[in-house]
Amino acid sequence: MTDPNRHSPVEDAQGIAFGVTMAAFGMHILTHMGFVTGQTTGIAVLLAYVTGLPFPAVYFAVTLPFLGLAWRRLGARFALKTLVTTAALSLLVALLPAWVDLGRIEPAFAAILFGLLFGIAALAAIRHGGSFGGLSILWIELQDRTGFRAGSAQLLSDVAIFGLAAFIVPLDTLAYSFLGAAVFSLFLAINHRRDRYVAV
Amino acid sequence: MTDPARHTLIEDAQGIAYGATMAAFGIVILTHLGLVTGQTAGLAILISYTTGWGFGPVFFAINLPFYVLGYLRMGWQFTLKTFVAVALLSALSLWLPGQISFATLNPWVGAVLFGFLSGSALLALFRHGASLGGIGILALMLQDRLGWRAGWVQLGFDAVLFAVAFAVIDTRLVIISASGALVVNLVIAINHRRDRYVAT
Repeated sequence: MTDPNRHSPVEDAQGIAFGVTMAAFGMHILTHMGFVTGQTTGIAVLLAYVTGLPFPAVYFAVTLPFLGLAWRRLGARFALKTLVTTAALSLLVALLPAWVDLGRIEPAFAAILFGLLFGIAALAAIRHGGSFGGLSILWIELQDRTGFRAGSAQLLSDVAIFGLAAFIVPLDTLAYSFLGAAVFSLFLAINHRRDRYVAV
Repeated sequence: MTDPARHTLIEDAQGIAYGATMAAFGIVILTHLGLVTGQTAGLAILISYTTGWGFGPVFFAINLPFYVLGYLRMGWQFTLKTFVAVALLSALSLWLPGQISFATLNPWVGAVLFGFLSGSALLALFRHGASLGGIGILALMLQDRLGWRAGWVQLGFDAVLFAVAFAVIDTRLVIISASGALVVNLVIAINHRRDRYVAT
């Protein structure tokens, strides 16, 4: 058995590979249904819907500016890891439709499935020191500079993204999207506990 | 925050709901592709393929005798949680095919998705004091009584299942199934660590 308190590189690699695969599957379902969501993925998905550009490319482009910020704040190693993770995620989201061609999905089930897939993906990535990049680093920077709470900034930005989405997607789609985002947030809120999963 | 060392009833309920839902989704993918797997679920799938009966009822019925063993070996809480998980998985496996459909699904990609989905499902169930019943409990019991190593008993059981599978499904599908079962077992072997996830 490896050290209980430290993940080995192989353990981190399998955790992040798991996270990337589940997140890619979640994004595939999200875009298949035309749903929206919060945070970086939410901005990318709205931009993709409005411009008609492919979602994986937009997602990758949106995460790039935050890499510089990640580098300054959290070091070159973290920035490089984030770049590899977001690149792999974008690539997998681009490839998945050729392998997994989704048919009809009941929207409520799609929303719950998206929430669970994104939730478990985020949990695995966080526990293994990975990151899907983007906005949250900006909010931590903002908190350090101005004292404005990162959690509040995150919530406000999601309200803004869902507000914008109301002009772009039908109301029932917005409601299902909200259900998915709620499942995701609840899942993370209950299960992300550093006092229970003690390895880093 | 709740007690780090003990899950509350609601925390266990959401963990078991996650496990049963993801395991059921994994079974939908597996049966859509005509693949098999190991352990109790594998036995239920083989019976389901040969008789034409649905996976859900067969899986539920096979597990019934093992609850007595579960009660004797692991106590009533584990047995009750396992019963709930098995019942939920059986019911969901009947309901889910109407909720989601695949136009095309690459069998290799499907096997990996199945592996990740059921691996994380089992991990969640174990961490919340439940299981998906059956053979695992019997193996533990045999280890107590006869000194046979539980790991070897389970491996032997899977070897017999996969040998029988050659007579039931195409050889190519047996090989793809084996890769899916390998992913499940790797996820469990690497990540099921009571010294890292410390809550019970």
